[in-house]
Amino acid sequence: MNTLTVSDVTLAFGGLYALSDVNLTIQAGLITSIIGPNGAGKTSMLNCISGFYHPTRGAIRFGDKVLTHASPHQVSNLGIARAFQNIELFRGMTVLDNLMLARHRKLDYRFWHALIYMGRASRQEALNRAFVEEIIDFMELEPYRKQVVGSLSYGVQKRVEVARALTLDPELLLLDEPMAGMNIEEKEDMVRFVLDIQKERRTTVVLVEHDLGVVMDISDQIYVLDFGQLIGSGRPEEVARNPKVIEAYIGED
Amino acid sequence: MSANRWFATGNFFSAYRDEQRIFTTHLDRAIFITFLAALFIWPLCFEVSSKYMLVLDNILIAMVAIIGLNLVTGFAGLISIGHAAFVGVGAYTLALLARTIGDSHVIITHAWPLMLLACGAMGAVFGGFVGLPALRLKHLYLAIATLSFQMIFQWTINFLPLFNQGQTIPVGRVFWFTGEVSRRDHYFFWYYVTLTIVVIFGLSVRNLLRTRYGRSLVAVRDNDRAADAMGMHPGLTKVYAFGLAGFFAGVAGGLHAYLYRGVGIESFMLHQSITYLAMAIVGGLGTLTGAFFGPAAIRLLDLQVENLVGWSAQFLPATMNLATALKPLTFGLVIVLFLMFEPRGIANWWRICRVYIKLWPFRY
Repeated sequence: MNTLTVSDVTLAFGGLYALSDVNLTIQAGLITSIIGPNGAGKTSMLNCISGFYHPTRGAIRFGDKVLTHASPHQVSNLGIARAFQNIELFRGMTVLDNLMLARHRKLDYRFWHALIYMGRASRQEALNRAFVEEIIDFMELEPYRKQVVGSLSYGVQKRVEVARALTLDPELLLLDEPMAGMNIEEKEDMVRFVLDIQKERRTTVVLVEHDLGVVMDISDQIYVLDFGQLIGSGRPEEVARNPKVIEAYIGED
Repeated sequence: MSANRWFATGNFFSAYRDEQRIFTTHLDRAIFITFLAALFIWPLCFEVSSKYMLVLDNILIAMVAIIGLNLVTGFAGLISIGHAAFVGVGAYTLALLARTIGDSHVIITHAWPLMLLACGAMGAVFGGFVGLPALRLKHLYLAIATLSFQMIFQWTINFLPLFNQGQTIPVGRVFWFTGEVSRRDHYFFWYYVTLTIVVIFGLSVRNLLRTRYGRSLVAVRDNDRAADAMGMHPGLTKVYAFGLAGFFAGVAGGLHAYLYRGVGIESFMLHQSITYLAMAIVGGLGTLTGAFFGPAAIRLLDLQVENLVGWSAQFLPATMNLATALKPLTFGLVIVLFLMFEPRGIANWWRICRVYIKLWPFRY
């Protein structure tokens, strides 16, 4: 299991500093949350890790590999998967096809195998289909397997989004507000899924979330960002007592 | 599996490999094979005039081209307004060879299947090259890049003496096992060749679409950010889509050159590109069956308009050029009507028919 280290990362858009000198360490096997008020730079941080942005300064390392300038597909091939905040599914395809797409790299056949289909391509498809079914089972998506994603409800789409990231079979899973816009019941389900992902699938989870109740309950480690700066970190109870964090969230007296 | 695989109406799969089948019942497959056999046999049973055979050849060649266009525009969502130019690349590959080594050289007349592949390969190379802007550009900007290729192609052919400045470059008659294909059998011969190619390409693309090489096309159409996060390079996937389309176009170009026994620029102009796009839309973008319906519908429409004009010549003054007016008019009207009332194309009617028959006597 690899540790993700973000050291002195600065992300500047012209004169605007979305992140300035942020240091994070994401321990393997734990649930680490990144919280902060709106515009604090949480999603920018995830974008830097997953390769959609490249930091202006600083370095990101996963184990002994440097991700600072890696593209999203390279990051994903290293075992870091990401679920998006605004649902970014393949809307015209079925749930099954969405998940099969996440197996793109694992489907081990060549172009000419695909043209003939019989034999290797067929075997590989069936093999990976079995894995996809395992994830469908895990995320309780059985009723929606053959439905087109665009026609599903918001809560289910969010779940498909997480399932798709999980189908990449990652070591590290980045979840960008998986509970945004959900009702209490859906939230409880999602929290249970996140915990199961950590415990049963032995995946490191990085969670960006606005619901502080959820964050305090399930996180092993919390990092707090405000205006692109790291203002606090530690275990949930430490963060809850940190005056800077309280100030960022509630304001001064 | 269910006991009866001829009339099974539901899903009785017990293994993932069962579910990969193209034909769920034996009946589906039997009908399909019968249909294919009929396509091969019917010209032997009836006396067909060369004129109609030429129309059929044209339809089949357009099908080859549209399979390619459908992959890049329908599945990968990249509008290509230069498809006729890619067809032209294929045709001029053959023409250039004919000009350098002689139009009846043994390579051209005897090794024509290899030549067709070479045309396809050249089309793929050009397709991939023209697709390179897809690494940076999206949507309409990319469409303009393909349009510019169409323009560059036309100018290159028109101004280079190497290509006879767009005048016809002859290509020799081909040989079959029975000797040279005669003038009388020419169109029949190419009907069978093109039909075989359409069947092979159709089945290959059907296979491709249920593997990762097909899914990746749809992925970059639907959401290329997410496609990137899934571990595929979206830019290279688009270049691959263009390359694939170029291959089909190139083969179509080679067939076109052999069928007309010559290559001239007028078959690969911009309006032909637009016609190809129209065929893809009328057939149904993003469906394989659409690639067969579209060309047939547009070409048969053309034929009907011609017949109508011929008939009206009996009582209309000869100075009235009805054909020039009616052809673009009906063509435009059909596209507009399809975009308004059936944007999913004829392929959708086909789908509805199939479901209806499958459920009969229950209501769809």
